[in-house]
Amino acid sequence: MMKRYALLLAGAAGAVLAAAPAVAQQKAPLSILRVIDADNYDPIRSTATAAAEVMYMLADTLVTVDFDMKTIKPGLAESWTVSPDGKTYSFKIRKDVKFCDGRPMTIDDVVYSLKRWTDPANKSPVSFRGGPVKDIRAEGDSTLIYELKEPYSDLLFQMALSFASVVDRNTVEKLGQNFGVQGFNGTGPYCWVKWTPRQELVMKKNPYYNWGPPIYKDPKPQIDEIVWKIIPESNTLMAAIQARQADVTYYMPYIALDTMQRIPGMTVQRQENYIYDIFMGFKVDKPVSSDKAIREAVNMAVDKQAIAKAIFFGKGQVLPSLLNPAVLDYDKESAAAMPKHDPAGAAKLLDEAGWKPGADGIREKDGKKATFTVYGIRNDVNPRISEAMQADLRKVGIDLKIQLWDATVAWGKLATQEFDAFYMAYPYVTATEALNLYFASRQVPTPNRMNWKDPKTDELLKAAATATDDKARKEAIGAVQMQLTDANVWVPLVSQPLWVVAGDRVEGVRAHGIYGAGLYKGLDIKLKR
Amino acid sequence: MLRHTLQRLLLVLPVMLGVLLIGFLLMQVVPTDPAQVRAGPTATQDVVQAIREELGLNQPLWKQFAIYIGRLAQGDLGVSIINNVPVTQELGATIGPTLELMLASLVWAIPLGMLLGTVGAYYRGSLLDRAIMAVSVGGVSLPVFFLGLGLIWLFGFKYPILPFTGRTGPLWTWEGLQGVILPALTLGGVFVGPVARMTRTSVLDELGADHVRTARAKGLGESTVLLRHTLRNALVPVVTLIGLQIGFLLGGAVVTESVFSWPGIGRLAVGAILSSDLPMAQGTIIVLSLGFILINLAVDVLYAVLDPRVRGA
Repeated sequence: MMKRYALLLAGAAGAVLAAAPAVAQQKAPLSILRVIDADNYDPIRSTATAAAEVMYMLADTLVTVDFDMKTIKPGLAESWTVSPDGKTYSFKIRKDVKFCDGRPMTIDDVVYSLKRWTDPANKSPVSFRGGPVKDIRAEGDSTLIYELKEPYSDLLFQMALSFASVVDRNTVEKLGQNFGVQGFNGTGPYCWVKWTPRQELVMKKNPYYNWGPPIYKDPKPQIDEIVWKIIPESNTLMAAIQARQADVTYYMPYIALDTMQRIPGMTVQRQENYIYDIFMGFKVDKPVSSDKAIREAVNMAVDKQAIAKAIFFGKGQVLPSLLNPAVLDYDKESAAAMPKHDPAGAAKLLDEAGWKPGADGIREKDGKKATFTVYGIRNDVNPRISEAMQADLRKVGIDLKIQLWDATVAWGKLATQEFDAFYMAYPYVTATEALNLYFASRQVPTPNRMNWKDPKTDELLKAAATATDDKARKEAIGAVQMQLTDANVWVPLVSQPLWVVAGDRVEGVRAHGIYGAGLYKGLDIKLKR
Repeated sequence: MLRHTLQRLLLVLPVMLGVLLIGFLLMQVVPTDPAQVRAGPTATQDVVQAIREELGLNQPLWKQFAIYIGRLAQGDLGVSIINNVPVTQELGATIGPTLELMLASLVWAIPLGMLLGTVGAYYRGSLLDRAIMAVSVGGVSLPVFFLGLGLIWLFGFKYPILPFTGRTGPLWTWEGLQGVILPALTLGGVFVGPVARMTRTSVLDELGADHVRTARAKGLGESTVLLRHTLRNALVPVVTLIGLQIGFLLGGAVVTESVFSWPGIGRLAVGAILSSDLPMAQGTIIVLSLGFILINLAVDVLYAVLDPRVRGA
């Protein structure tokens, strides 16, 4: 009996060993790992970065953003002009573009896609990004006119986001609500093959594609098939890349990056201009957080450098200002005015503001304790960031109460008025976009969770948004940055880095990172074997 | 026998109704807002409200439940609010891989557990017995995810001979067989210990019984005594345990499927809950509960087959 079992075990082991070459010799497709799937892949219905990263490969936009995250380059539009009043954009559309099904893209497809994005009737959560549209129409067979009710300086950057992708009208109408669920037809370098929600999305090379944006060396896709796989468990993801069971990821845990760098043949690269920032925002109308001295003291007491080092394992970058230094219209003067790490200075500031230490070490003023509650998502970093901040603030006599929520609950909670402060991480492309999104009074209660309502801010934000020249926009949005820095409405924490890890089978990977899309169009990527 | 089975079957209905109600209420009690999740962090409240209306979440709770039960009676579990795919379609696509994984786990874990338990009992008090019991206790105590990650490290990374990033094909294909080895070792690994321990205890009881002594006195061979007169009678409590453990295996499958990205119903449940996909989450709850109930029903019936005294109870 025992002998038979031993034989069986030996046989199984032999079979397993024989299988080894089969695993090692696996060639195409390119396997990209990520931790979470998107809700759908309709460009106007999903706000998820997980949708955007795939969308950029499936579809094209009229313009693209270069790797510096500041320069607009052609996409489906060969060129464009803007009227002197900043209200009318004329795009010259390429004529050599085809959808994945082989049908040539027409100007009507472009008009349809952009109207679909911006039309309020479609109830898209991203329609606001299209600006105050008056009309979108074709002029001849290759000119698109995008007419605005008022100037909108962010338009080109917003048009580079995946939400403004051009899609095939026929497929949209045929699939209805299932567009981007059961099928997709775009003009991107890769075509939709199959999506198994929460598991994988398979795409194949678009055989017609040769109109890649000029930010790449080769305008044609080089890989026959790509599989985006979902590996929710980060340890498994890490092991899969190490064991070469997958090729690329930009969801590698920070703790593993050094190890990856030491593995021969593994490429680990950082996108220096990646914009995905983490901050803590204050509700400015709550009892304690309404006091500017408290907000400024928090900014001074928190050791952001230590947070970047300890929590991101040295891979994070401290945010020196409200916004990321890589972003368009970043204001250096505001950054210089940002309070520096100075716990003693924070304590002095609180003393001067009348916040005196109580018996338990927590400061008090007018019978009110210096305590406030922060809400946030319970993710990989927020628990540790909040605990580090709690320890720092305790040293200056401020009590931070932490309440983190599961992602399923957090967004609902973050729409309430229950908390005094909150953590947020977000991608953006311009200063005007970020600050209009978060600080315009019309955006209260979400995403303006600070309840910041200031006529001067609104005026400046509008001036920046409607500026017709770069200088005026930069000045206006710079003034907003200075005003908000002075008010200490946010505690800028860390710029979340983008690291792309690629195995030795892959070459030509270059980290991009627009709206979280690490590989952008995936052009120039080749498989060695 | 038939009456016994029918009685048990009838009891399934109120239990399922209870499960449906609790499952529905649980998803309502959780302070999550699917509309907010779907709208994203930068959406204004107008957008969130529009999505809420679109999903029917603005209806009173009783109405939502009544609609849900009404549809359920027609076999309609609704559609996913995330990707519009019918829930039954996704359940159908994921139940197969889960059953495959469970089968691949049980096919080695049950015989091994019974073998270890029998050997341990037969050589009671020996070094072999103690070693087997130590391994069993280890198996019982080891968390599924820890065992899974350990196996990934050993056979996926240190000696990269097995795939571990999901199902590689149907179980009857060579690729599929390779892909299921590590998840099945993980899921089955926690099963071996309890089966071995119960088998050992049960076999020990039987070895001291009169009929075994009689069998030996009649001059029967040791293998006949052990297999025919001892193990068969010792199986009754082991079968009960296996039945209950298979139910818990569904729970273990949730973790195993997450660790190995196995496209089964456990992972579907986790994904549905994390994305606040209420119809999908409720659908997975129904299937998992139904699975648990049916397994227990099968154990009841099997118990009656093995022990005639139960039939009249």
